[in-house]
Amino acid sequence: MRRIALYSVLLAMAAPWAGAQTTDRATKELIEKLLARIDGLEKRVAELENGKATAPAAAPEAVTAAPLAKAVSATQAMHQSHDQAPAPQTAGPEATPVYPSLKIAGFSDLDFSATNLHSAATGFGAQTLLETHSGFEEGQFTLHLSSALSPKVTMFGEITLTARSDAGTGSPAAAGFNAEVERIMIRYDANDYFKVSFGRYHTPINYWNTAFHHGQWLQTTISRPEMTQFGGSFIPVHFVGSLIEGAAPAGGLNLNYAVGMGNGRGQVISRGGDFSDINNNRAWLVDSFIKPDALYGLQLGGSLYHDSLNPLTAPAAREWIESAHLVWQKETPEFIAEFANVGHQPISGATASNSQAWYVQTAYRLPWLQKLWKPYYRFEYIHVPKSDAIFRTVVPTFHASTFGVRYDITTFAAFKFEYRSYVRRDAPNFHGFFGQTSFTF
Amino acid sequence: MRNRGGSFSRRAMLAGAIALAGMAASGGAQGADIAIVVRPDVPVDNLTFAEVRRLFLGDRQFWTSNVRVTLLVRAPGARERDVVLKTIYQMSEAQFRQYWIAKVFRAEAAAGPRIVYSNEMAGELVSGMQGAVAFMLADQVPKGLKVVKINGLLPGAKDYPLH
Repeated sequence: MRRIALYSVLLAMAAPWAGAQTTDRATKELIEKLLARIDGLEKRVAELENGKATAPAAAPEAVTAAPLAKAVSATQAMHQSHDQAPAPQTAGPEATPVYPSLKIAGFSDLDFSATNLHSAATGFGAQTLLETHSGFEEGQFTLHLSSALSPKVTMFGEITLTARSDAGTGSPAAAGFNAEVERIMIRYDANDYFKVSFGRYHTPINYWNTAFHHGQWLQTTISRPEMTQFGGSFIPVHFVGSLIEGAAPAGGLNLNYAVGMGNGRGQVISRGGDFSDINNNRAWLVDSFIKPDALYGLQLGGSLYHDSLNPLTAPAAREWIESAHLVWQKETPEFIAEFANVGHQPISGATASNSQAWYVQTAYRLPWLQKLWKPYYRFEYIHVPKSDAIFRTVVPTFHASTFGVRYDITTFAAFKFEYRSYVRRDAPNFHGFFGQTSFTF
Repeated sequence: MRNRGGSFSRRAMLAGAIALAGMAASGGAQGADIAIVVRPDVPVDNLTFAEVRRLFLGDRQFWTSNVRVTLLVRAPGARERDVVLKTIYQMSEAQFRQYWIAKVFRAEAAAGPRIVYSNEMAGELVSGMQGAVAFMLADQVPKGLKVVKINGLLPGAKDYPLH
């Protein structure tokens, strides 16, 4: 009797799902999943029946109903965890949220590179995968944690384990993994217009830096543009301090803003001031962008950043960064363009310098072959004048073209294949082939 | 010992019944408008289509300073979900999932939408949760919930956008 009732419940639950499908692959998968659930439930019913045989004979129906409901809920959750993206969550029977509500998601990637480089590509970030030897590389293993602590307070964290040639033990250091807290923040949301947070961020003066973070699977290409590469120095990738941010409809423009104050760059300028600032001048930033209702998918924005630098290997200077971006967030086509100008004014009064970087990336998800293929192209450019004492030894001057294709093997995993060609100032040109599989879990 | 033959035939019958039920549900719901429903104490009666989009994209997260929006979204396969993905999100199923993974990863939202498996479940949760908003077939909206107008139109009206 209970089994019949159980089947009826399942049938009622399944009907709306099946409703929008005919006999396509999704429907078949759905039926297979439902059958798997039935197997699980049958097993559970059998267990309950066996348990009932040894239990007191007069066990009331209501008592067995509760474990049954739990079993259904558990199988639902199991089914959900494999069928749904990590972000959407199953609505349980309880309407009241529970705090804290920790959720963990992950990203990772494995890479292959082969170039005709004969010496180290100085100034490029390690994750640009420019090695003198071809081979496979373990990318990053990234864990993302989010937890609502109350209706208005939320924490977010991002931890990475990154393969490095010098992260292991011994002398010289062996290869190993480097652990890093990439982002950690706690945010109080007063409303949509005003949110205040404290922590370690990816500096919000650049679109890519705050759109994809360490989730290689999220981005179309294998690697980030060099101007915003992890371990690179052109823009300060990390920012330790506080942000005030929010959004307002603004007559359909959907104006978003962020204002921040923090430690700025460390003495090694590719690093943020994690422990404390290296001087008594805080860095500050203002960032703003619009997402107009009338052009759904468009984002247009700009930002301003200021810091005082005391680098290890160059004279102290004031740094100003102006940047802008234009993005079409859809995939037919996808378009991302960014520009940044970094100005350094030595405090000693020496000649000021300005370095520029920009890139344009376009991609298109092909309408055929189940829309799994997305070819792409990116042109990127960085120019550092020789008068820039801070950048000239750590930021390469080059331009490069990247041709590639992304193939989404499942909803949550992709293969990417690229050919890149680099033209450098004062160094030989080179090119290479690159491959990656990246995924979320 | 379980009777494997009997289990197989039950499973085959069940699979057939699911397919039939699905087709029946699909046929019955074909063409019905999709209503946006909230609890009566949500201080909103009418939204523009752009505001509905901001709401379901997670860009608007508060009804008022004290009431946070909780999105309820039907599980994959439901016609209501297909309509909302096509008209509001303008995304495929894969793009929708990637959108919410990225949204949470960017720390723009603490969690994605809650998944509901039926209009009844959606109705119960909207009734029980302050600030919850769901979409469901207009002819299945339970009593006691408020249907939000879109561009001043209720479901069934000419030019109502969600169908």
